[in-house]
Amino acid sequence: MLPEKKPQELLVMSHAVVGYPSLEANLPAIDGLVAAGVKMIELQIPFSDPVADGPTLAHACHVALKNGGGVKQALALAEQVSRRHPQVSFLLMSYLNPLYRYGLDRLFIDAAEAGVKGLIIPDLPVEALEPHLPLLDKLNLAPIMMVTPVTPPERLQRISAAARGMVYVVARTGVTGSQTRWDAEFDNYIARLKRYTDLPLAVGFGVRSAEDLRQLRGRVEVAAVCSRYIEWQGKLGSDAAAERMAELCEAAGGMEATA
Amino acid sequence: MIRSNNGMFGSFGGRYTPEILTPALMELERLFFSLRDDPDFWREYQTLAQQFSGRPTPLTPCERLSKAIGGAQIWLKREDLNHSGAHKVNNVLGQGLLVRRMGKRRVIAETGAGQHGLATAIMAARLGLECRIYMGADDIERQYGNVFWMRRLGAEVIPVATGARTLKEAMDEALRDWAASFEDTHYVLGTACGPAPFPELVAYFQSIIGRELQQQALSQIGRNPDSVVACVGGGSNALGAFAPYIDQGDVELIGVEAGGRSREEGQHSIRLQEGTGEDGIAQGFKTLFLQDSDGQLGHTHSVAAGLDYVGVSPILADLAQRGRLTPDSATDEEALTAFETLLRHEGIIPALESSHALAGGFRRAAQMSPSEHVVINLSGRGDKDIFNVARAFPHPDWSAFLQRELARQPDFTTQGENAADVA
Repeated sequence: MLPEKKPQELLVMSHAVVGYPSLEANLPAIDGLVAAGVKMIELQIPFSDPVADGPTLAHACHVALKNGGGVKQALALAEQVSRRHPQVSFLLMSYLNPLYRYGLDRLFIDAAEAGVKGLIIPDLPVEALEPHLPLLDKLNLAPIMMVTPVTPPERLQRISAAARGMVYVVARTGVTGSQTRWDAEFDNYIARLKRYTDLPLAVGFGVRSAEDLRQLRGRVEVAAVCSRYIEWQGKLGSDAAAERMAELCEAAGGMEATA
Repeated sequence: MIRSNNGMFGSFGGRYTPEILTPALMELERLFFSLRDDPDFWREYQTLAQQFSGRPTPLTPCERLSKAIGGAQIWLKREDLNHSGAHKVNNVLGQGLLVRRMGKRRVIAETGAGQHGLATAIMAARLGLECRIYMGADDIERQYGNVFWMRRLGAEVIPVATGARTLKEAMDEALRDWAASFEDTHYVLGTACGPAPFPELVAYFQSIIGRELQQQALSQIGRNPDSVVACVGGGSNALGAFAPYIDQGDVELIGVEAGGRSREEGQHSIRLQEGTGEDGIAQGFKTLFLQDSDGQLGHTHSVAAGLDYVGVSPILADLAQRGRLTPDSATDEEALTAFETLLRHEGIIPALESSHALAGGFRRAAQMSPSEHVVINLSGRGDKDIFNVARAFPHPDWSAFLQRELARQPDFTTQGENAADVA
């Protein structure tokens, strides 16, 4: 599921909210992210009640909904961008209800067909995911599971068994878009996770600066710069936000911009 | 009593939360499961409710009202007589006992009408806890009296200005806070909704209403009532009153939802009736939600902020689906009429939320005979609704008084916007 990478390379993952700042703006914004060197992009389906998102992404969701963003629009966008950028992995991110209403199995089939490589569903717990694993495996669609610093050992085991593609490591307790530090405690946390899974680790929640990326390089495989990017996109526009992302990708290591 | 099957009630309930919240919910569940069958714990809770909130609340016969309605004998279970003015305090006192056992130093809560927020602020003041209340910006305008008291009690009241600016958004915001703060913070969820174990836990503490009612009915009526009627927002007062009767099929259980202005989309808060709420999973649990075909949660309306919610307790959704609960609804106008009827016939001022139960209860009683008995759960008192009621029944005296009072209040407008809001 992960794009190819050199051993020490830190891949940068970023974000698009389908319908934010508008449906038309999604495609050029994603082109800009790819040109900046971003290797993985989450396509977030907006939801009316995004409880795991901080103010930046929650606001983007509300705007995106007004602009007509939804499951169908996300699938159409996925199909377009996965063809256009075959070297980039596109993941579908959504809260459960829009997918549940669409029909989970139908959604999995349509997402795989649209070229989506993985799914992030923050409010789908491992217990509810497990029955769907046979279909997901057949479709080669990876459920990206989240782990947190407070996930107890027996749960880590269960989550690791269900995880595919990579494990999304919540770096701190809390919602998206706040500060995190990369200290010895973080290293212990990563070491602990590696006892349960051999999958690549993606760190999210609180990855905001070039310094964060330099710190993470060599310690994990993927860094998710999501709400920070959407913040820039909202304040500076998609082009300037992509320029900032290019600087971050450079800090992530050896990834020169391709366009 | 009310027991889930691993967090589920039929096909509803469950725990659909971001992974970050799972350990906090599991900790709460372990504690709750270890206490709920312990008679000493129930006695501790009962004693607290008695000493602090004046329980048991009475079961009041309404002679003049029953005659005027002209059917069954009407009785009121007087949750309006609780400290803080509503049933909400039952659940909050119970959760306060849990907070003390968990050793947490801070509590947060969502609130619609402000009654749950007020009860939580009262508990926090009594236990010396830090307290933050999330409340929809529109609900703040509708229930400013409660906001005033929450702030005086030392709670921080955070207006939530996203989406429809009511209870749904306040709950989203409280969940966000909790995801970042659960290590030292307890989320005092105010109704029998949300992720497991909250529906079961809130219903357990609220069942004190029904346990008292059952005894009182046996001694005052001499038997079980024929019907028990309650309003349904999230569903906690209804579940409290229904609890001991759920397995007694001869007692009719009627849940009255907010019919609002009309059945048009966004104009009501009816979720349990045909063609209204549909299966959905949001805010951590599965229930009947008002939503569009894309699974986006809908907008709601009610004159009563406490009924203005997009989902409903999974326990009630299950009871309705199994045919055990009879869903009914009352419009804004019907609720206001029932409000006045009770006021004039019995000298009791009901909350606008509870006035929906009255409207449904009066309607049912009128179809019954004088030998039958209807108990209406009067979930709260109406003092908090003084401004809303004054607007519904305009009177020049009141408007003139407000003008004079405004002139007497200190003027903060020159010190910047919302200066008076700073607690």
